[in-house]
Amino acid sequence: MSRGSIGVTPRPTRLADESYLEFITSFRRLAIQEMFPKVAEHGEVALAKALETGNVQKPDDGEVLSLSEIRKVFGQNPVTPTFQRFVRTQQEMMWRRTRESFYQDVDTVMVEMEEAEAAHPERIHIDPDFVEPEYTRREIHCQPGGYTDDPMGGVVFHYGTKVFYEGFNDQDELHIELAEKATKPADGKVDHVLDIGCSIGQATTVLKDLYPQAEVWGLDVGKPLIRYAHARAVSHGKEVHFKQSLAEDSGYPDDHFDMVLSYILFHEVPVAKMKEIIAETFRILRPGGTFSIYEFPSNDKNQVSASHRFLIDYDSKNNCEPYSPGFVASDFRGIIEAAGFEVEEGPLLTNPFLQSLVARKPA
Amino acid sequence: MDAQEPTDVPATLGDEIGGAGKAYFDDVVIDNILDALLELSAAVWTYHDRVNVLETVLAEKGIEVSDAIEAHLPDDAEIARREAERAALVQRVFGSFVRRPTARPNTINPTAFTGDDQ
Repeated sequence: MSRGSIGVTPRPTRLADESYLEFITSFRRLAIQEMFPKVAEHGEVALAKALETGNVQKPDDGEVLSLSEIRKVFGQNPVTPTFQRFVRTQQEMMWRRTRESFYQDVDTVMVEMEEAEAAHPERIHIDPDFVEPEYTRREIHCQPGGYTDDPMGGVVFHYGTKVFYEGFNDQDELHIELAEKATKPADGKVDHVLDIGCSIGQATTVLKDLYPQAEVWGLDVGKPLIRYAHARAVSHGKEVHFKQSLAEDSGYPDDHFDMVLSYILFHEVPVAKMKEIIAETFRILRPGGTFSIYEFPSNDKNQVSASHRFLIDYDSKNNCEPYSPGFVASDFRGIIEAAGFEVEEGPLLTNPFLQSLVARKPA
Repeated sequence: MDAQEPTDVPATLGDEIGGAGKAYFDDVVIDNILDALLELSAAVWTYHDRVNVLETVLAEKGIEVSDAIEAHLPDDAEIARREAERAALVQRVFGSFVRRPTARPNTINPTAFTGDDQ
């Protein structure tokens, strides 16, 4: 028996699953919001003392303190591995139970996606010959099968990220903010909009609400995500196109889009691919068009605190974010500018961890 | 939509969380105890939540069950069913001790994979 949904979010198939996953949500909130600040404060103080006493060598001007030194100092606090254990374990518990719960209803979920595709085949674009490159087939965030290899990955991702966002995105609040803060072109013309790395299309559908006259597309490499995004959009009555494709080889014409949005995409690809995606976005954006980017912080000017560098390093190794260290170390803004964009700071988000940039293609 | 083949449904977990698991302490028993603590806490809450819901539903129907619960004695079939559920709980709570029984296991992806070398 279906237990319905929680507004726009699917409800786990059994009460026991929902209770278990709500417990994890509460526990995660404690670990991230209360435990990590203590680990960070203790580590920052210990690091300052170590630099003062010379136990840790001060980096030369313009140089960045090595991660191994940060790891060593932070690791001296026994609460640090406790935090690491807790965060890893709750993530594993979350994926196991989310997947187990929604697989109880696998036939229904698969049929819903098939029916949506039969009803609106013109809005889902999947090339049967497309092959996901190996670099995309990572179990990002430890999600079993990643974005590409679990046909139920869409609904599992949806509820899994509900837990990840600690209950603050149950009704797409975060994605509504992203879409509302996306910067329009100076001339105001918005006929074509693209959400790259759109996952299950939460921001994509809001962009359609904001620009109802525009043709809005969501693009992602993960077929399970695209299929779920399409079914969700159809069930919500949103006329949005979804396409399985590589962001670095999108297949759109030159100068096509007025606005492009990306949300935490670039730290999930290798730096070489990031450069290709930025070049491709420059190609498909029309002169005067805008590219709104919300992303992990960059540390090219040593602007990220030691505790956040510690957290990103941990997250990379323990939450399957293989590419994030390369991203954080890169000169992200410089790479965007080198592609031809004019770059400025974008509107700040409620989540202060993320950077916000607006890249304009010169008119 | 373009034509595509139906997709098979994999039954197994991925390598990231389906393997030997990670350890964060030199003494792996601490990892196991903390895992157990989390599973146990989740189980306690799950059952507590169910009893909350049960009592609410019954109260809505005007049924008082507290005395009947205390007086209830199970038959053989119920005993067997409850024993199986209890064993599953024990597995869930203490499974880490089986998963990482002795020495610290190898970690998954011991070196960061940047992908830039592709």
